[in-house]
Amino acid sequence: MTKTEFEHGTAGGMRIHVLPTRRFKTFAISLYAGSPLAEDTVTTTALTPFVLRRGTVSYPETRAFRERLEQLYGAGFGFDIYKRGDYQIVHFRMDTINDSFVNSPESLLSSSFAFLGEAFTEPVLENGAFRKEYVQTERDTVRKKLESIVNDKIRYAAERCIEVMCKDEPYRLHPLGERKDLEGITPDGLYQAYRKWLDESVLDLYVVGDTTLDEVKKLVEEHFKLDRTQTKDYKPSVTRAAARDTQTVIEQLDINQGKLNMGLRSTITYGDDEYAAALLYNGILGGYPHSKLFVNVREKASLAYYASSRYDGLKGIATIQSGIEVQNFDKAVDIIRKQLDDMAQGAITDIEMSQTKAMIRNVIKEMQDSAFEMIAYDFNRQLSGKERTPDELLDQVDRMSADDVKQAASAFSLDTIYFLKGQKEE
Amino acid sequence: MERIHYDNLQETLYYEVMDNGLRVYVLPKPGFQKTYATFATKYGSVDNHFKVEGAAEVRVPDGIAHFLEHKMFEEPEGDIFAKFASNGASANAFTSFDQTVYLFSATDHIHENLETLIDFVQNPYFTDQNVEKEKGIIGQEINMYQDNPDWRVYFGLIEAMFKVHPVHIDIAGTVESIGTITKEDLYTCYNAFYHPSNMLLFVVGGVDPEETMNLIRSNQARKSYDQQGKIERIFDPEPTEVAEKRRESRLAVSLPKCLFGFKEKETGLSGEEQLRRDLTTKLMMDLLFGASTELYQKLYEDDLISDSFGHEYNSSPEYAFSAVGGDTKDPDALLARIREEVDKLKASGFREDDFERARKKKMGGYLRMLNSPENIAHEFTRYQFRGADLFKVLPVYESITLEEVNRRLQEHVDWNQLAVSIVVSP
Repeated sequence: MTKTEFEHGTAGGMRIHVLPTRRFKTFAISLYAGSPLAEDTVTTTALTPFVLRRGTVSYPETRAFRERLEQLYGAGFGFDIYKRGDYQIVHFRMDTINDSFVNSPESLLSSSFAFLGEAFTEPVLENGAFRKEYVQTERDTVRKKLESIVNDKIRYAAERCIEVMCKDEPYRLHPLGERKDLEGITPDGLYQAYRKWLDESVLDLYVVGDTTLDEVKKLVEEHFKLDRTQTKDYKPSVTRAAARDTQTVIEQLDINQGKLNMGLRSTITYGDDEYAAALLYNGILGGYPHSKLFVNVREKASLAYYASSRYDGLKGIATIQSGIEVQNFDKAVDIIRKQLDDMAQGAITDIEMSQTKAMIRNVIKEMQDSAFEMIAYDFNRQLSGKERTPDELLDQVDRMSADDVKQAASAFSLDTIYFLKGQKEE
Repeated sequence: MERIHYDNLQETLYYEVMDNGLRVYVLPKPGFQKTYATFATKYGSVDNHFKVEGAAEVRVPDGIAHFLEHKMFEEPEGDIFAKFASNGASANAFTSFDQTVYLFSATDHIHENLETLIDFVQNPYFTDQNVEKEKGIIGQEINMYQDNPDWRVYFGLIEAMFKVHPVHIDIAGTVESIGTITKEDLYTCYNAFYHPSNMLLFVVGGVDPEETMNLIRSNQARKSYDQQGKIERIFDPEPTEVAEKRRESRLAVSLPKCLFGFKEKETGLSGEEQLRRDLTTKLMMDLLFGASTELYQKLYEDDLISDSFGHEYNSSPEYAFSAVGGDTKDPDALLARIREEVDKLKASGFREDDFERARKKKMGGYLRMLNSPENIAHEFTRYQFRGADLFKVLPVYESITLEEVNRRLQEHVDWNQLAVSIVVSP
């Protein structure tokens, strides 16, 4: 069996997690900075990495910054901003070639740490604040990104559904922040917010590749200029059941195909013992091409090309999505509700159980072939405080019965039906 | 069974041609949980007019290769997804301009899954009824793409460039064209293009090459195939010049989308010659439009491009073109600026140090790609169908010279060959 367990330690006020392996041709490095989703910080936190990627003390000009990455054999460097539970996560990634495949005079791991550490902790400054020009341009970039969400209608409908469903909680906030707040952000204000974020966010640094925990600790101490001595922890988010009857929201946009989205509340989250049953619930309902949604909405009724469900165990929400003709709205909703009822009543066959278990098993095992997926799995443990190795999860999924899944179904309730349709009258 | 070792990549590939002409490649990845297999036919959306030796010449409806891909998943005993699910395999397929690929990934029951993959693709089952049912599903798939501005702007560019060549026809066809498809049409195409001698099977992951090859060999020995005559793909002559200089379409977008590119004048290259031109052109495009170039930074600072700005080069023996662009507030200003700056570079040529850095970046990107079994299988097959070897890319990169790249700049970036596609809000 291949080794898949991370070695854990701390350095420079960060938690360090290292998986030494020679399976990959690269070093994969992930740095997660998490802070609670909140209206007054969501936009500055979102804007920060955009400004950080413009220049550092050693490479103040963006061109030089990017040329440096190319010198490191086109090292991958990027960041994502997303929500995990009620936290806003900024995730920096680097992906660098293992030196043994190229004739490199420098250690590419060490150079990558130098690069990432400086990008994160030593941005180029002017007058004790971020460079004004960079802040202005990146404000525009984030604004454009927020405005462009509407271009991808599938994603737009999915995000509107969550917004409508969670309108009274921080989770309604978009991870890229709020457009209205961008205008008022100054280079100085943003720099202050950045310093606070560096001090207060929860920091986890991961490396997968041909290295050791000790080597990584040394590299962190050398290249990350942080003024923290203590590491910090995530607090699991509080879930809520649907407190109301299902709401239906219909909106219009200039589109050809109607986008139907549904949001369900679940009281089961990643840290709960019922998590494995919730995974099976989602898998049987709509996680795969053999699932109830795909078979009934697409294959039997021929109403859609896609019809699926997803379960977010860190937030306790499941979502359903499908693209349909506008006039088929009632028909599609009826079919989907029927599948939810069947789940609740335990109308689950042995074949559905065994196929879904086999598919979940496959997903968990496949994850171990990708450095970044292994990192993401271990990060769930940091987020939830729940330790559950892939093998333990496999075992828990295996032991579930149809009755356990029926039990889990009672923890899911339909909260919101959201439909985005075209502007033409039918 | 032949064994090919690539020392610089630390990879060993196993290869055998079956008696019926099927080409099989196995790439063991020690330590990997997953096995990923693709079964591909050199048959895509462009193959709509053909003649098999000894049979009549035929023209088939637009979108039929993709339609056939959908229908292959249906077997007399039901949907093949269920069978894959029972063995924990995640299965899928896709159709491109010049190939159709069926695939699965799994961590258990590899032999059963491999047999399922081979058997379902080699066992067509089309009925009038199941063909009709699929029209609703694919109709929704077409509608979904109609709502996607990135797809619309990309296809608009190809439509602007090509007048005759079927690459300009949407891969899925139109609701009207697929409406005319019959099961007889599907059998005609199946019989022409799904003969083993037109197909390639690639298996990568934690497998034993000897065992895998034995299994495939005996599977194929159980089936009888007549000798396949030569397939003649008929392409009417495509004019050198673009069909339209500029094409606009309307869809709700936050900012206009602008994609432009150059239609290659000289086609008909194959094998290593084509690979070399392909890689040289990609390197050249990166030197022109990559994120570390002066041009990119200027356009970004002047708010004419956003993070969405990118470039690609697509080439086959029959057609080749580049595509550059993204979101912009002012397509005409962007095009004018690019023309001005690119002409300066055409006059001066690229610099040696920029060239060396871009080359390093490309080599690193290639090595990183090899971490992914999916990418290896897809790219390897694509290269093979075009007569090239994916694992010989590094030496080609190492031997490309600055002079070649500069020559490519003069040849490819010819303003007479320019076409532009724009999507704007209605």
